[in-house]
Formats: sequence, structure tokens, C-alpha cells
Amino acid sequence: MSLPPIYSFPPLYTRQPNSIIRRQQISSWMDLILQYAKSHNAWSMSAEGSIVKEGTESVQESLFVNDEIQRSVPQIFINEIWSAMCQEGKAIGTDKGKRESPTYYVLWRTIDSWASLILQWCESAGKLQQVVTIYELSQGDESIGWEFHGMPEPLAAHCLKPLCQRHRATIVNDEYGKPVAVKVV
Amino acid sequence: MGQRPSKVKITRNDRAILQLKRSKDEIHKFAKRTDKLIASERVRLKAMIEEDPKHYKENLKIRFLLKRIHYQNHLLEQAGDQLINLENLVSTLEFKLVELQFVKGLEHGNEILSKLNKEFKGADQLMDNVQSQISYQNEINDVLARSVVGIDDFEEELDKELEQLEGEFIPKEEPQKEPQIQMPSTEGLSELKPTEQDSVEHIPEQVTEERTLA
Repeated sequence: MSLPPIYSFPPLYTRQPNSIIRRQQISSWMDLILQYAKSHNAWSMSAEGSIVKEGTESVQESLFVNDEIQRSVPQIFINEIWSAMCQEGKAIGTDKGKRESPTYYVLWRTIDSWASLILQWCESAGKLQQVVTIYELSQGDESIGWEFHGMPEPLAAHCLKPLCQRHRATIVNDEYGKPVAVKVV
Repeated sequence: MGQRPSKVKITRNDRAILQLKRSKDEIHKFAKRTDKLIASERVRLKAMIEEDPKHYKENLKIRFLLKRIHYQNHLLEQAGDQLINLENLVSTLEFKLVELQFVKGLEHGNEILSKLNKEFKGADQLMDNVQSQISYQNEINDVLARSVVGIDDFEEELDKELEQLEGEFIPKEEPQKEPQIQMPSTEGLSELKPTEQDSVEHIPEQVTEERTLA
């Protein structure tokens, strides 16, 4: 995995005082995060910048720490980056979509784009007019090979919301109010 | 698009299928987990055998591990079968729903057809009515045609006059008799004698008979 050369640019790790430059800096960080997550096929990252994989609790190196040039991003600035990510819809806090949470879902596609991809799958796999569990959608054998395969279920449920708004789908909740299935028309 | 389709409804059937699918998912999860477990245990088994390549057959731990793997495999197979069963059930259910739609469609069509047929109930009367109207129309036509004054008499007069004119202008020619060709009549002649002819015919036969005899 190679990150663009800007990753080795020391000033990137210091919060820039000039607001215009800082905006540029934050957007560079956003691109880096998206690229990093996509290349690792990671759905969520901790607020510290390490990849969170389901089941494994192994602490990996953080994106925000660059040993090569002996630089790291201070946590306060990291939080600012995450907050900007959430604002632009490029990340969602795993904790019910709150701005500040210990982990974030990284959206290297926009929610709408995921939604239409899921819709495409439903259409091509003949899943219209029937209930499909979110597990089936994201982990089942039938979606292997699609980009959203392996997506965490809560994120998948979130990605279905645009379809509901377009009146193309309804989410079914279980007895505890947790989304478990979807019916796409 | 401007239209706003109504919200997608979740029916009771959907909920039933959902229950099935959720149990299917559970089995799928279990299968995945067991698969992973077997893989990791196989790795462990391999490592243990490599550790003790000489006496591994007597090693109780290794035997136990292998047994465990076999048991897990057995479970996995069972899970696979159950998964297939559930999947079949789901597809059967879905097909039944389609069939239900089919029956409903038939019913509906039948209803509409009978309703439409009811509309045709007065057809007989209507046809009679039309028939009588047509004959009435014909009558009217006749009456209208006749009402032109004296047209029939006029025609007769014309005919008469034309005949008269014919008599005056075209002299009646007597049809020429075709001259008959006079042929000599056969009357009074004696009839041909058939007996003579017969005797003549018989002669050669007799000759042939004689020849065969000779």
C-alpha cells in the first residue's frame, strides 16, 4: 500500500493556523483516510486512526503516526479532521451517528452511492419484492464479489436509508428496534 | 419522477419469510464460525505433529484434537443440510405467494368477465329491435318510392308507345324458310338380310377348327 507523497510532508502533521490553508490540509487528510481505508478494505477506523476489523482487537499502527518522518497528528487536530469528515458525509460515527465517537465508519463512497449499488444488486440478484435480511445483504454468499460485501450491518442499514426516503425500500426492525431486514421494491 | 409511490408495505407473509431468513442467517453464521474453527484447529494439529513427529500417534492431545475436528466437520455438514432445507423452504414459500397472485388474478378476471357478460344481457332484445327498425326503414323507403305520382303508369305507357313505334317503322319481315335438302328416302326398301352376313362370318371359324383338329 502506498500513500501519496504528501503523507511524508511534515507540515501536514501540524495544525495550520491559516484557515484557508487548514481547510486544504484537512481535505488532504480526508483523501488520505479514504484512500487508506479503501486500500485496506476497512469499514471502520478508530478515532486514533487505526483500522478496526471485526472480531480482531489487534492494535495496528495509526495512519496519523508517521514513523518515517517522526511526525504524528495531535489528537485534538485528529478530532477536528473527523468532525469535518462527518460534516461532509465521508464518515459516520459508529455510535448512533454521533459526531464524536471512539470509532468511525469510513465512507469511501457516499451513502447515496452505496445505496444505489445495493439497489443494483437487488435488481440483478432478483431480490426485489421480498424481504432480505441485512446479514444476507452484507455477509451472505449471494453478494460476494460486490463492493459492499462484508460491510458491517449497522452501516448497511444506514446505507439503506436513502432508498427508504426514495420510497424504494422499507426497513424492518426486530423486537428490539434494531434494523434486521429490508424490502426493496 | 413526479409520482410518489406509497410506502413499501411489509405484509404478514413478509414477516414469516423474514423469520425463516433470520434463522437461515444464524445457520450461515454458525457455518462460517465452524469453518474458521476447523481451519485454525487444523493449523494447530499440524503444528503439534511437527513438534512431535515420532510419537504423535500416541499423543492423547493430538487424538483429541482430531476427534474434535471430525465432530466439527460433522456439525458443519449438518448445518449445510439444514441451510439447504431452509433455502428450499424460502423459495417454496415465495413460489406459493406467486401462485396466490395467480389465483387472485384468475378470480379477478372471472369477475370482470361475468360483469361484462351481464352487460350483454339485453343483446337479444337489442337485436330484435334493430331488426324491426330496419324493416320499418325498408317500409318507409317503399312508401317514399311509390309516392312519386303515376310513375308506374308512365312506364307502361312508354312501353306501349314504343311497341307502336316499332310496328310502324320496322316492317315485319317474314322469317325465311331455310331450303330443305331433299334426300332420297329409305322408305319402301327391303331390309338387309342379317342371316346371309352371319353365314359368311361363320366360315373362317370352321376353317380354323378344322386346322386345329388336323
